[in-house]
Amino acid sequence: MLTLLRATTLVLVAGAPGLLPAVAGEKNLKPPENIEVYITDDNSTLEWNSSDGTVGNVTFSAVYQTPEMDDWIKLPGCQHTAGTKCYFSLPDLDVYEELQLRIRTEKGNDTSSWSEVYSFIPFKKAQIGPPKVHLAAEDKAITIYISPPGTEDNVMWSLDEKAFTYRLVMWKNSSNIEERIETVHPGGKIYKLSPETTYCLKVRAELLMYSKIGIYSPVCCINTTVENKLPPPENLEISANNESYILKWDYAYVNVTFQVQWLHGFLKVISGTSLHKWEQIPNCEHIKITYCVFLRKLLPKGIYYLRVQASNGNSTSFWSQEKKLNTAIYTIIPPPVISMKPVNDSLRVYVNAPEVPLIYEISFWENNSNTERKYQGGKTDFTIANLQPLTVYCVKARAHFVSESWNKSSIFSDIVCEKTKPGNSYKSWVIAGICIAAVFIVVIIYIMKNLLRCFNYVFFPSLKPPSNIDKYLSEQPLKNLLLLTTEEQIERCSIIENTNTNTIMKETNQIDEDHKRYNSQTSQDSGNYSNEDENTGSKASEELLQLETGSPETNS
Amino acid sequence: MTPKYIWLAHFVGLFMTCILSQDCNLLKVHLSTVTWQNLKILNEMSNSIPIECLREIQDFKLPKEIQPEKTSIKYIFYEMFTQAINIFSQNTSNSTWDKEQLVQFQNKLYEQIEYLQQCLNKENKEKEDMKEVKADEKEHSGAEVLWQSQLKLRRYFSRIYNFLKDKKYSRCAWEIVRVEIRRCFHYFETFTKS
Repeated sequence: MLTLLRATTLVLVAGAPGLLPAVAGEKNLKPPENIEVYITDDNSTLEWNSSDGTVGNVTFSAVYQTPEMDDWIKLPGCQHTAGTKCYFSLPDLDVYEELQLRIRTEKGNDTSSWSEVYSFIPFKKAQIGPPKVHLAAEDKAITIYISPPGTEDNVMWSLDEKAFTYRLVMWKNSSNIEERIETVHPGGKIYKLSPETTYCLKVRAELLMYSKIGIYSPVCCINTTVENKLPPPENLEISANNESYILKWDYAYVNVTFQVQWLHGFLKVISGTSLHKWEQIPNCEHIKITYCVFLRKLLPKGIYYLRVQASNGNSTSFWSQEKKLNTAIYTIIPPPVISMKPVNDSLRVYVNAPEVPLIYEISFWENNSNTERKYQGGKTDFTIANLQPLTVYCVKARAHFVSESWNKSSIFSDIVCEKTKPGNSYKSWVIAGICIAAVFIVVIIYIMKNLLRCFNYVFFPSLKPPSNIDKYLSEQPLKNLLLLTTEEQIERCSIIENTNTNTIMKETNQIDEDHKRYNSQTSQDSGNYSNEDENTGSKASEELLQLETGSPETNS
Repeated sequence: MTPKYIWLAHFVGLFMTCILSQDCNLLKVHLSTVTWQNLKILNEMSNSIPIECLREIQDFKLPKEIQPEKTSIKYIFYEMFTQAINIFSQNTSNSTWDKEQLVQFQNKLYEQIEYLQQCLNKENKEKEDMKEVKADEKEHSGAEVLWQSQLKLRRYFSRIYNFLKDKKYSRCAWEIVRVEIRRCFHYFETFTKS
């Protein structure tokens, strides 16, 4: 049983891997801790702590990995390092990409497990190293030539070389107290110094966008020269009018000529030393006056620097302080374009202007009066109400641009005049109404007249014969014929035969019934009658009439 | 359009950028206007890419995942314009561009960089004045997002830089880069509208 126990314990002991080396008596290697990376420009330092100490043959090795890679790669410069620090450099690395590191302890053939992974973005961690500074001196100024931090083909700041801003601290060698702190461009100058003095300075680079402030360069000192015979021109001032810029300066001495030069603003940033890129301003070479007028066309919209130098044949002065010209400040606001439209008893005003927040000042007056009304506002479309009808009003406007730093005004626009619409709307409506009513009445009268005529025609016809028949009735006998019904004409007539009387008497009873029947009978009775003319025939009928009147007497 | 209105329109175009460059509150409008002007110059600098250069075109992977918000747009544009001016200040002797146009382009970029720097300084000053105010958690995450965007943008520009270097600043390389920068400006200009 005891042997069993011993066996199991041995097995247990053998089974536990960590214990075995301890049993064997070897050192248990622990991975390093507290890993830290320090980067300055392209040079990186890896530091760590190790509880195993640095005694003996303890070494460390590091590996790295980027997200793209599948495997860990040995970190050059950090393989089998003694000590808890190593230096490495990865020129082909993308400094904006995440990098992972891990280290392990080694002793002989044994290695510890890997440490915790240390992850970082090199660019984010990196600190800006010292720039390189080179000085040149004048009598009252120093020119500072600065090279960006890092080597020329450095990877870390390859995109930032032109983006660095440089901060300078300067003091007189004699007294450390006097300090000047300024921002300076590479190739820039420090002015207002004393001649024949030693000045010392140090410069650091900054990337404010990423809140990075660099390390100061080593201190550099230089002596300013003896005072020059001719001082440089001073107090450069720029002004502008419609067509040109005017540069003015002050100069103490007479009998000197000046020359003026200009430089593109961006060249100060792009090129380290913009010495050779200064250009002459034409008609400002060898001038005797202390101002230079040049066309705006020469320096189209942008940022420029101007400088002036004096010379008197024998010697020349140093260049004046550079004056920055930002053409934007001198832009002219164009006057707004106004149009007016009369609407009822008001005038609608339209201001044609760019889509910029400008304030418009509008002056408004009646044509032949002196009193002006002023309106101010940002609206480009508004109405002026309550005006006199049929009156001419005039308007002019100008634009103002107001911002925190400065304000600008345009000149007044052209004067625009417009007449308001005629009179009261009420009056005009009444007149119109009356006219319409008059027309309406005339129309009604005409219609009524026609209706009346119609009515009369239907219910009260005229007895007058139509005019064309009237013509033919101009003869008397015909007239008499037509008037038979009203007037009776008696003609004397005598009876030729008695035999016909009975038949005639029979037939006279029927006389009222049918005149035609009787006519045919009488023609039978005597041939004599039919041959005679109509008058006789009519006479016969007259006879009958007589008989008829007489017959009742005979019958009774 | 009457000649009078043509003159006014032309003047207004110049005038707007001049005036607006003084006021940071109108930043978006200004950025939109100047970006269009830059695009115009980039177009006019050269005729289209020569056919023999089409073989060398490569995808620079413009980081379209960057979506600048109102607060971060000036950082993005500052970075973009600074990198553009850096690129175009390299050796352009092999390109067939009109030198005047190139200078005008650089001039314009510089003007915008100065303007943005002034606005950024103003903002930093305001932030410093408000340091006593407790920092927002949102602000922190916003700052982190901005960092990420800036890094992505830098990676993009370093790809362009390396391309130029590898091709030894040849004429074709410059033409391809010119077109790429144009694409970049155009993409980010859309964010000035929102």
